[in-house]
Amino acid sequence: MNEAEESVAAETPATPVAQRPGSFNGELVAAVLLAALGVYLLVDAGAIAIPGSSNTVGPRFFPYAVGGLSVLTGALLALRVLRGDRGPADDGEDVDPDAPTDWRAVAVIAVAFVAHALLINVVGWPLAVALMFAAVATTLQGRLTPVAAVRPFLVGLTVGCVVWIIFVKALNVALPGGIVLEFLTSWF
Amino acid sequence: MAISDLLGGFADAITPVNLLFALLGVLLGTAVGVLPGIGPAMTVALLLPATYVLEPTSALIMFAGIYYGGMYGGSTTSILLNTPGESASIMTALEGNKMAKAGRGSAALATAAIGSFVAGTIATLLLALVAPTLVQVAINVTTADYFALAVLAFVAVASVLGSSPLRGLAALCLGLYLGLVGTDVLSGQERFTLGIPQLSDGIDVVVVAVALFAVGEALYVASRLRKGSVQVIDHKGGWLTKEDWRRSWKPWLRGTALGFPFGVMPAGGAEIPTFLSYATEKKLTKHPEEFGHGAIEGVAGPEAANNASAAGVLVPLLTLGIPTSATAAIILAAFQGYGIQPGPTLLTTEGPLVWALIASLFIGNVMLVVLNLPLVGLWVKLLKIPRPYLYAGILTFASLGSFAVNADPLDLVILLGLGLLGFAMRRFGWPVAPAVIGLILGPIAETNLRRALAISDGDLSVLVDSWFSRVVLLLALLALVGPVVLRAVRGRRATPAEVAQEQEEDREVQTAANREGGTP
Repeated sequence: MNEAEESVAAETPATPVAQRPGSFNGELVAAVLLAALGVYLLVDAGAIAIPGSSNTVGPRFFPYAVGGLSVLTGALLALRVLRGDRGPADDGEDVDPDAPTDWRAVAVIAVAFVAHALLINVVGWPLAVALMFAAVATTLQGRLTPVAAVRPFLVGLTVGCVVWIIFVKALNVALPGGIVLEFLTSWF
Repeated sequence: MAISDLLGGFADAITPVNLLFALLGVLLGTAVGVLPGIGPAMTVALLLPATYVLEPTSALIMFAGIYYGGMYGGSTTSILLNTPGESASIMTALEGNKMAKAGRGSAALATAAIGSFVAGTIATLLLALVAPTLVQVAINVTTADYFALAVLAFVAVASVLGSSPLRGLAALCLGLYLGLVGTDVLSGQERFTLGIPQLSDGIDVVVVAVALFAVGEALYVASRLRKGSVQVIDHKGGWLTKEDWRRSWKPWLRGTALGFPFGVMPAGGAEIPTFLSYATEKKLTKHPEEFGHGAIEGVAGPEAANNASAAGVLVPLLTLGIPTSATAAIILAAFQGYGIQPGPTLLTTEGPLVWALIASLFIGNVMLVVLNLPLVGLWVKLLKIPRPYLYAGILTFASLGSFAVNADPLDLVILLGLGLLGFAMRRFGWPVAPAVIGLILGPIAETNLRRALAISDGDLSVLVDSWFSRVVLLLALLALVGPVVLRAVRGRRATPAEVAQEQEEDREVQTAANREGGTP
């Protein structure tokens, strides 16, 4: 059965760079982590308190089941990956399957997102989101200079303010607006 | 009986205010669904917060519009963008793309829109007819039967979606784990909360769905962004000619006939029926030479199947409370957000609401077919949004949706963490949908299992006590073992044709690209 699969795999044109055999294999790590998650579930399930009234199947049973399934799945998947089975990376309209992974973009987005989460309650959602928007858009444009960030920032700020006004003033969603915007719109 | 209830639903839905909400939902759903990289599930998850503050009837009416609108939007994207999109529209894209390139884009869009309308209308009618009957059956379904149904859904979703059953199972495990975090409903014990108080209420389904779909997709696309300007194929040519109509109507009906039952079954939504519809049309066509070069049947059939399955998915959701696709899982979360629990009693306790929802599915469908073709110019503009702004915008709305749930920044950190998980899953070909379904269906399965065993005093034979649960568990076993056995016997994967087809497509696209690149 593996021969057939390998022949299919061999026909696949242009294996994405990150998944070529020989290079660092992330999926192996993922499979091992899944098995580790299963072990954690199995161990920690034993610590769940069982109320005295519980008669047969208590709150520990399902965690044990899920933990066992995770260990099994993770182990089997790790084995298959070791034997050369590779999952095809996702397609998408805007995804270039042959492009090398741009780790810098991923890192910038992750950091910008955490920063905006922490800033929301300080400077308000619109400004926090505008900064995140600017960082993400500028990175994706491929030019990381202050000048190139002006336009994305203004776009982000406009989007943030318009969305905030719609959701807070018209739909009554609780969303901190920041001092300036809340003052300016207090007459609504 | 069902007809008079349905008419009552129409009476509720055709008030000016509710019509406005339906229109708003349809427009928003299509606009967001058109955006590349955003499938129906992500559309629904991202737009969920917009419905939070409305009262349930208006919210669900708007939601119906978003659901069908997202489906319509997706097909426009797949026809006019020269790149593969989400799995349910891949089959539409095969021929639709070629039609658009051959200057018949308008005809492709028209047969997709009208086919969706025909399929959506018939399938919604079937939903209205089937649901009350099924509820009669479902009312007798025991907790053990429910557990069996949940197991079948798990197995089907894990083995159908994604590149291999094992990877589907891995995604399912992640979802089940996320569903365990929080306070156990039956005993009140905290589980796996790591001592973080916010986690004692569990991880919000909306946060998980938005993270895995929206944030994960944004990170993944960012890591491999297609550089260069966006290429949208012109939608040229006239709408449907008499010949087009003649060639389209049978595929529409056949697509509907395939799509609806597959939507009802726990088989992961639209992937299988759209594929089967394409294969059927290819076999039955009188113009086999056109397949691969823009055959209209290849757009009409899969698109109808896609929409019919969207209505079919609502059958198990509304009558049993069991989601069979990622989109359905998010709709279930939306229901719970409004304080409504879908299940056999839904039609009696919330009858008017459900019928208003079904009626607005009809209304939304009419609005879509009327609006979609005239507005196609607007959708094309949306397709051309510069990608840096598009993905920054997706993250903006992901932040809005998740923050609006609890107004807690910690949710956004969890959002990013799960988004990175979604990013990794995309890299390794782990399907995302089983995780979302596992998250929402896991607690349902656990509760029913424990209730069943509590009633039987721990006797496991209660799980196979009824014929219903025996048949369902047998099906689950078949779905799990079947592909493995098939592969062992036939030495190939379950859907080799699909794989081969996609690879052939890829190669064509690549050689075409190389050729274009080669000539200055």
